[in-house]
Amino acid sequence: MVRLVRVELFKVRKRGMTWILLAVLVAFFCMIFLGMYAAAGSAPHGMPGAGLEALKASLQFPNAFDMIFSTAQGIGGILLVILAASAVGNEYGWGTVRQMLSKRGIRSHYLGAKIVSLIIIALIGIAISLIVGFALASFTTIQLAGSINWDFMSASYVGELFKMFGWTAFALLVYILLGVLFAVVGRSALVGIAVGLGYYFVERIAIGIFTGAGGWLAEIPNYLIGQNINALMPGNQLGGPFMTTSTLPSLLHASVTLAVYCLVFLALSLYLFQKRDLTA
Amino acid sequence: MSKDSEVIVRTEHLTKRFGHLVAVEDLNLEIHQGEVFGFLGPNGAGKTTTIGMMLGLIEPTAGRVEVFGLDVRNNLASILPRVGVLMENPSFYPYLSAWDNLHLFARVTGGVTNDRIKQVLEIVELSGRARDKFKTYSLGMKQRLGIACALLHDPEFIILDEPTTGLDPAGMKEVRDLTIRLGQEGKTILLSSHRLHEVEQVCEHVAIIKQGRMIAQGMVNDLLKRGGMLQLRVTEPDRAMAVLQEPSWISSLTREGDLLLLGVSVERAAEVSALLAKNGIFVSEMKTRENTLESFFLEVTEEG
Repeated sequence: MVRLVRVELFKVRKRGMTWILLAVLVAFFCMIFLGMYAAAGSAPHGMPGAGLEALKASLQFPNAFDMIFSTAQGIGGILLVILAASAVGNEYGWGTVRQMLSKRGIRSHYLGAKIVSLIIIALIGIAISLIVGFALASFTTIQLAGSINWDFMSASYVGELFKMFGWTAFALLVYILLGVLFAVVGRSALVGIAVGLGYYFVERIAIGIFTGAGGWLAEIPNYLIGQNINALMPGNQLGGPFMTTSTLPSLLHASVTLAVYCLVFLALSLYLFQKRDLTA
Repeated sequence: MSKDSEVIVRTEHLTKRFGHLVAVEDLNLEIHQGEVFGFLGPNGAGKTTTIGMMLGLIEPTAGRVEVFGLDVRNNLASILPRVGVLMENPSFYPYLSAWDNLHLFARVTGGVTNDRIKQVLEIVELSGRARDKFKTYSLGMKQRLGIACALLHDPEFIILDEPTTGLDPAGMKEVRDLTIRLGQEGKTILLSSHRLHEVEQVCEHVAIIKQGRMIAQGMVNDLLKRGGMLQLRVTEPDRAMAVLQEPSWISSLTREGDLLLLGVSVERAAEVSALLAKNGIFVSEMKTRENTLESFFLEVTEEG
């Protein structure tokens, strides 16, 4: 299994797409931080004072960490759906899944190695996001406050950062497994990407509609992926066009719900991959 | 090859249905150690499906496959390291070079050194292009890389599914020679091909399937004899034609000028001669016309 994970990491490392997606991640970080900094600096017309202060605070340490993790989860989720669906689905398109399994036939090991390698890539992605975000937040903090005050940095805060790292990775795992599942179902990267990203965006609209409808319909978002991820990520609770923070589920509810999603996606992927014939 | 030698592949009542389509039906096949076994059939006959079931890629609907005496269903991890496969249309990672592709599959298999990778690249004459990406390769080069990948871990049993597709005549000859050489080294080879001439030159045993069913199996020489023709020159060809219509053991009867061509095994030549003599017709010339695997193949696959 370890050998297969190394093989999967080798494939991902050698693939140009991985580096393009990484460049997109870094570019998004720059756009978000520098765009918000520009907005804060030019004080948009009609922006209330409290809103402007909140915007500035989100660009400065320690609040900037929430934004770093939130951005890593938001953009990372999209990029990982693409990467996961491609890693699994392209193997069908190229025919390499048959070649691989004719060398080593244990299908659960093959798919398991893919998922483990994607988790490793997600962890590396979060670490890179943290480094890039830290550099950008250092710049915005110095620009907005003149210097960085490290008083907030304590052992317990570092512990909080590790916890945030863990929640971000957990949130990304759901999207990895979503991409893998639909690539297996459709035996194609395109299906995995289309359904994965389709779900990602449609769910956000659906949450807004259900919440606005009220009554029992307003309860439905509490069982959808996005709303539960929002409950885990403080940076996601800053608000947005389809966001209602008042209805967010508890941390326990969110983590259990997401764990159930992960298990269902994983079990279905393994079952289908195991059962289906691999024809030419 | 002695029937006592170790059976490498055995299929028992092997059947595969895809919905209403019967791809393979009740197929019983045995490949013995050291055999170069030809697997023939028209397109869509079920050859690749059968190979898929041998490799655990396709689940049989009924029946079973044993490779090295082990049921494929539960023993893939033990079986596959001893098998090398060239798939129909070799599949590799397009963004990796030949070297990286082989390196990757070597890691999957385990126990393959860089020297061995170099060696197989030399065998298929791709050393000069080893660092070029697979997506830049011609069809023939892709095919040769597929063969290199099949040989990578020096397997005991090699499956070659249409190995000469895309190769030029020189390349085809090289693959034929390589197959013969591997056979001489004691490897067991399953050669699935629609190039009958190639199979005839390389294989000792063949199995022919049509619409998923086995229609002929045996030593190439025996099959050719079985499907042989007797060529006769007789005193009264018209009357001889009428006489020879009667026996059921004559499968075909045609006339080419003065010559009569009989679809009958060589062993029955004396019976043919006696039958004609009994009717006052005398044979002035009788000889066997050598059958080719191609004519035999066409004969058996066009029946029914």
